Amino acid sequence: MKSLDMIRLGFENLLRTRLRTVLTILGVVVGIGALTSMVSFGTGMQKNITEAFRDSDLFTSLYVTAGDVGEITDPGDVIELMSKPPVPLTDSTVLAIREIPGVEIVFPEISFPVRLEIDGHETRTTLRGLPAAMGRYKPFDDLEYGEYFSGDDDRAAVIRLETLEDMGLSVMDAGAETVDAPEDTAVAMEVVVGDSLIGSRVNVITAVMDLSGGPIGALTRLVPGGGAFREAAIQFEIAGILKESSNFSGQGFRGGVFVPIETADSIPTLGFSSVWELLGEDQGKGRYGSIYVRVRGMGDMESVRTVLVDEMGLSVFSIADQLEEIKRGFVIVDSVLAAVGTVALFVAALGIVNTMVMSILERTREIGIMKAIGAGDGEIRMIFFAEAATIGAVGAVCGLILGWLVTRLANVIVNLRFMPVGEEPVNLFYFPLWLILGAVGFSVLVSLLAGLYPASRAARVDPVKALRHD
Amino acid sequence: MLSVQGLSKTYLKGDIEIPALRDVTFDVAEGEFISVVGRSGSGKSTLLNLIGGLDTPSSGRILFRGNDLAAMKRADLSRHRRYSVGMVFQSFNLIPHRTAVENVTLALVFGKVPRSKRNERAAALLDEVGLAGRMDHKPGELSGGEAQRVAIARALANEPAMLLLDEPTGNLDSGTAAETMEIICGLNRERGLAVVLVTHEEDVAREVSGKVIRLLDGRIVGRLGGQGQA
Repeated sequence: MKSLDMIRLGFENLLRTRLRTVLTILGVVVGIGALTSMVSFGTGMQKNITEAFRDSDLFTSLYVTAGDVGEITDPGDVIELMSKPPVPLTDSTVLAIREIPGVEIVFPEISFPVRLEIDGHETRTTLRGLPAAMGRYKPFDDLEYGEYFSGDDDRAAVIRLETLEDMGLSVMDAGAETVDAPEDTAVAMEVVVGDSLIGSRVNVITAVMDLSGGPIGALTRLVPGGGAFREAAIQFEIAGILKESSNFSGQGFRGGVFVPIETADSIPTLGFSSVWELLGEDQGKGRYGSIYVRVRGMGDMESVRTVLVDEMGLSVFSIADQLEEIKRGFVIVDSVLAAVGTVALFVAALGIVNTMVMSILERTREIGIMKAIGAGDGEIRMIFFAEAATIGAVGAVCGLILGWLVTRLANVIVNLRFMPVGEEPVNLFYFPLWLILGAVGFSVLVSLLAGLYPASRAARVDPVKALRHD
Repeated sequence: MLSVQGLSKTYLKGDIEIPALRDVTFDVAEGEFISVVGRSGSGKSTLLNLIGGLDTPSSGRILFRGNDLAAMKRADLSRHRRYSVGMVFQSFNLIPHRTAVENVTLALVFGKVPRSKRNERAAALLDEVGLAGRMDHKPGELSGGEAQRVAIARALANEPAMLLLDEPTGNLDSGTAAETMEIICGLNRERGLAVVLVTHEEDVAREVSGKVIRLLDGRIVGRLGGQGQA
């Protein structure tokens, strides 16, 4: 009750010197506004980037490669490395990884260069084999046209929109207005309706070695014009067309055309397997360059990685590791932004000190009177603390509102000026709860610190001198 | 009730020591009315400030109901000012932006009187000094006599045992001064409040108080009896 009365007295004093109070509070408002908008920019940027990563499969993806190529720091490592042959990645490896708890999907990386051909339109791209289970995940769960294939041995393909454009096909929605191709486009674009492509044919053409006449015969033809290579074409049905990729995605990055994994494995190609076959090595079949592992959740990353590295002796790469680095970078960015904002708040704190000291000089006699009628040092101190805290709290709340308005405005301007038309507007700023509460808390704390000297000075006022004071 | 023993106070002005009080000794009994007279600069106000706990002595003792003010901590001194004594000054020392009743309630705030009882008690005190109709006026809107009566009401707020008056009528015309003195005498008589009155008007002092102490250059140079209450 006692403190409440002192707070009320402090509040009354603030109301009495309204102009000065408002000006002092404005200082805090600007300080907190600057601090929160700066920090909210930092947190907004961090949020946008980490969410873009999280939307993709980067957080749950591991790329397993053969053997543990550790860091080579001295010549002994090289010897050790040579004496320990890398663990080969085979079908049995895939099966073993599938048994690790927390693993959701495992499939070997099967990708090779192909030529695609649709109705005379051609392009070169990379074909990737994917299991049907990948259809549940981005970016395959949400296709622009058609659907993801459902069987691992279907003769179906999902093509990237960009790949079709490379082929000179401009894909449109049915009923959409056709846009005239720009004059300077080198390749004349043919406009096709996206839905009409679904179910139509695409030819996948690969280069293979002509193995007629046995390995030796093939080798003898490995000269220009020798005819060692020939092309093999396989017909696929277009199942779906992938959206233009806009965000980071491990699976979205690579490959221009995607086919079921077992189908991909059966396509004759100049891949590893045929070279092994060429050399008559039986165990060559089923060897892979890398294996893709997707874990159930981010929390499974560590345990799965431990099993893969420590128990199976495999090498693991994940982009999540890189993200830690990025996060560390953000801490630095946030700190710098917060530091700039804090400078503004400290300038405001000086304003508080100034106002309070002025107030004490003006109210010296009043303080003397209050002491003469029984006010203790503690009570006088409390009155001035209450004034400082009120300035800080009111300033913080108004500063938050100011900061929010400024960031809203900045966001609108940035989105209008710099974002391409049709793109979803980006939220550059983010006000998490900790920032809101922290800003108010920090402001009150700084204000109290700023009130520390004036309040103790007020408490120490000599009543005899103060009563003589005019 | 009050025993001042060998009290001295020396101020420092630069390096020069200025003695304000030298070896002052006297007693005040419960309910006694005592006056301190002397020219300006004789140390009267210094003496009152020391008894009021606004200042601390250089040497000597001030025993108020057995407790030595000279040995008190700051917090104890503020408690002494709050509950034991009520002070009234020549220049009223009201807070200009607070109304009459608010000036009185401020003392009640420091006296830790519950909020709900403050206004009632302040109104009763102002009524007692004859200001029932002037409660919501600010000091600037009050006459000198009225302002001093607000100050007296404020001094009474936390029911002190002793009133300390520093030239309470010094800024008032003779008629108002007489009225004010009458109120003070009434409080001494009816409430049994001990009063220490500092004044330069010796005849007034002799008239109202039972005992008069004359100060000159910080020393007691005379002790006189008065016609007032002993």
